[in-house]
Amino acid sequence: MQENLPTSASWIERKVEDDSDVLYLTGVWRLANVAAISGRLRELGLHARTRFVLDGSKLETLDTAAGFILLRHLADVGCTQAMVSARGFDARYQRLLELVHERMTTPPSAAHSGHQGLLPRVGATVFAVVRMLKMHVDFVGVVMLELLSLVRRPGRFRAKETVSQFEAVCIDAVPIVALVNFLIGVVIAYVLGVQAQRYGATLFVADGIALGICRELSPILSSVLVAGRSGAAFTAQIGTMKVEDEIDAISTLGLSPIQVLVIPRLVALMVALPLLVFVGDAAGIAGGLLVGNWQLDIAPQVFMDRVHAALELRHFVIGIAKAPVFAVVVAIIACGMGLQVSRDARSLGQNTTSTVVQCIVWVIILDAAFAVAFQRMRI
Amino acid sequence: MERVLSVESLVTRFGAQVVHDGVSFGVERGEVLALIGGSGSGKSVLLREIIGLVRPTAGRIELLGTDVWQSEPYAMDELRGHFGVLFQDGALFSSLTVAENVAVPFVEHTDLPRDLIAPLVGFKLALVGLPPDAGAKFPAQLSGGMRKRAALARALALEPDLLFLDEPTSGLDPVGAREFYRLLRALADSLGLTVFFLTHDLDMLVAIADRVIALAAGRVIADGSVAAVRKSEDPWLQEYFASRA
Repeated sequence: MQENLPTSASWIERKVEDDSDVLYLTGVWRLANVAAISGRLRELGLHARTRFVLDGSKLETLDTAAGFILLRHLADVGCTQAMVSARGFDARYQRLLELVHERMTTPPSAAHSGHQGLLPRVGATVFAVVRMLKMHVDFVGVVMLELLSLVRRPGRFRAKETVSQFEAVCIDAVPIVALVNFLIGVVIAYVLGVQAQRYGATLFVADGIALGICRELSPILSSVLVAGRSGAAFTAQIGTMKVEDEIDAISTLGLSPIQVLVIPRLVALMVALPLLVFVGDAAGIAGGLLVGNWQLDIAPQVFMDRVHAALELRHFVIGIAKAPVFAVVVAIIACGMGLQVSRDARSLGQNTTSTVVQCIVWVIILDAAFAVAFQRMRI
Repeated sequence: MERVLSVESLVTRFGAQVVHDGVSFGVERGEVLALIGGSGSGKSVLLREIIGLVRPTAGRIELLGTDVWQSEPYAMDELRGHFGVLFQDGALFSSLTVAENVAVPFVEHTDLPRDLIAPLVGFKLALVGLPPDAGAKFPAQLSGGMRKRAALARALALEPDLLFLDEPTSGLDPVGAREFYRLLRALADSLGLTVFFLTHDLDMLVAIADRVIALAAGRVIADGSVAAVRKSEDPWLQEYFASRA
């Protein structure tokens, strides 16, 4: 298919005829040999003092890469068009050389997609984060306005879409939320039990489990799971729709993308997350109860009595009440990031990753803020 | 004349749906050949079968002397260096700049030093008529016409003998389309390229195709010069050529 054998290792034979330098091109002038040809050209040490004649009579094949390397070298050493002539070329290669010459006059561009220094990167990141925060605030405003307009025209609320989103974010998430909280309940009860046994206070494991799971762990764990599961899904779904111009199509059909896409997801998540936290509460306490029964010899009946005594209603309510707030954060960030996807493959992946990271970080920051605030309020 | 591509009694079935029912034709070196047919006539599938992406149900495809579906993987790898493909919307890698996109074949398939690749990439971009500053841009920052040119530069990087194009003028305005197919014809003539393209664009067909193959109902219904195919009795072809005077 291709005669790559270096029939002539020299590529160029140089002879002086009359008062001009004749360069006989020999062999297979193809891309595969370009490095060697380039080396040979440098080795010849051509100077733009005399006229050059390119002779193609001994040439086997020529492609644009090799032709380009030759003409570029001649141009680099200072040859003008008037100083170079060609003879003996196959008509095809003559045309090819002309094309190469015509096109190569534009200076070559070779830019790489930047490797920046540390300082510009830090600066760019800071600006990007600030821009992103501003964007989220803007988006909260936009969603609020759309919600208000929905209150005036409740008929536009998309109940069916909301229910199907609820199924995806709540019902389908029950097994994983229950499993994770159950296992955390098991782990905490076990670790707590080992310590409590030393003081003969094993019964208080039930207090620890009830308070820890219901007030802090189940809300956090369930929200983080939902952020990873549904948050990523929201961004990817909406982002793909953005790439496929579906968002623009929704707008041109006279619908609001916020009402069609964002509000159903927001409402579904606000309803779903408290329920998931409740599932998590139950699963975590069940995990603790199991370890209490097997490891610490606490009868289930006794364990549950302790839970009833320790778990005042306010602890349970605080845990559940945090969930809708986390839900808003996850839904707003996830949908906002989805709508920010630009038209390339990388952007979709970046935004989905960013959604998960931002959601988890914000859930934890807010939870810390709640913990401090509730402590101050003594509840 | 040397035969660079031959397709012999090709049959393709997806479940009960018959896409190709005995398609045969050959392509000689240096030809500029257009494949036409209505939407759903199996043009794109045929192209994908020729370039080794979709396996046909039966039949034989020989590309530059290599049987595409019977060869060892290494023979296919060797073969891939000898043809370039321009996908419909360019299929440039969106995370790389245009210059890096064009550099990919050089970096992956040759052992050229970086200081030779950079000028070669610049030259390839100039060859397809892109301005010098286009190399530093990302594909998303380019217009449709420029994306196609950049993709053409990538397809031409390894000096292919054969160039496959899927709807090269779709999504371009008539002026941009005309510029693009004229560039193609000029490159084909100067580089001695064999060009195989799918199109719906009658202007492009008339302007640059040496030969036309029409596909309908899974079979080749016409094969010949534009003038010859235009005279065909087939109702779809009559309708097709009547769509523009």
